[in-house]
Amino acid sequence: MMAMATSSGTEIDWETALIQRARRGDSHAFERLYREYSGRVYGLCLRMTRDAAHAEDCAQEAFINAWRALDRFEVRSSFNTWLHRIAVNVVLGKRRRPAYSAETTLESEQLNDCEWQLDTPVEESEIETAIAGLPEGARDVLVLSGIYGYSHGETAQMLGVAEGTCKAQLHRARKLLQERLNLEIS
Amino acid sequence: MSDMNHTEGRSRQVRSLRELAQPVQPPRDLWPAISAEVTKTAPVVSTVKRSPRLQWMAVAATVVALAVGIWIGRTVLPMGGATSTPPATAAADGPASAVLDASLVTDPRYLKDRAQLIRGLEAQLKTLPPQTQQKVAASLATIRQSKHDLEAALGRDPANALLQELLVNTYQDEMRVLTSVHEAGDGQEI
Repeated sequence: MMAMATSSGTEIDWETALIQRARRGDSHAFERLYREYSGRVYGLCLRMTRDAAHAEDCAQEAFINAWRALDRFEVRSSFNTWLHRIAVNVVLGKRRRPAYSAETTLESEQLNDCEWQLDTPVEESEIETAIAGLPEGARDVLVLSGIYGYSHGETAQMLGVAEGTCKAQLHRARKLLQERLNLEIS
Repeated sequence: MSDMNHTEGRSRQVRSLRELAQPVQPPRDLWPAISAEVTKTAPVVSTVKRSPRLQWMAVAATVVALAVGIWIGRTVLPMGGATSTPPATAAADGPASAVLDASLVTDPRYLKDRAQLIRGLEAQLKTLPPQTQQKVAASLATIRQSKHDLEAALGRDPANALLQELLVNTYQDEMRVLTSVHEAGDGQEI
């Protein structure tokens, strides 16, 4: 999160101040928010799209949409989560276009725990590659709940699917990841 | 995913998927393209016509909010001549952006609009309730004092980007108060 400045017991929330300035049309303030959050938004887009060029497009569009919707952002909620929601919408929206293929296979199995621990440490690049190779639906759920820590409810809402579907996809992702990495996930 | 460049070239091992949730910087700066769109459109804001009573309340609220903001700014600022450490967010952009902002202060159109608003201030204030008039006067006095303090601090530390930005913000705050008073008075556009 963005730095807080403290002096003589006074604390300033720079993020809130920047959001408020951006809402009044200050693009310089919005640029600072972009600098702070571009890595988090691009990272999510890259994991969901598996393609750097698409991820760049999506991240760019997400920030433009965020600028246009700033008035609807509730300051008390998390700006990071809000941006992630917008980014997920952009990725899903682009997928629905003919140039992108849709993946709709769903399973009915459920899994409640989405904070996974690997029994054996794994190279980061190896696990990223394995995640990138997952089917779209399973990968989306894994990225949002497994990596970014969103609850099943939040993930389901972001992706526009039922919570049960979300859990099923997570279970599927776990099985596939286990097979590909040839290790135990507890 | 060969673009996870923050992970490649390193042999970092992870035990949990959550450890992967680090920012991944885009390979190129996306801001220029975003900026091109952003400067075309202002954020969507509500444009519901307010009643005169609501306009007065809005002026009072603006004034109170600005007074609090200015008080916070002055509390944090090193007005005694001590060297300041700008917060990371201000330092990141460097002096160039602050210079861009500072150009606003000498913009002839801004100066003309400001002079026009100040000329009409007294008449407009009379149309507001006494309590609001007092708040506006107090707020403008605080803003002027802030400008004076900031200019003095900038005299000692001319390259301080945070001070430059706060000075520009103070000018913008003054314009907001003047504009709010003007709009609450006769509702006509400048």
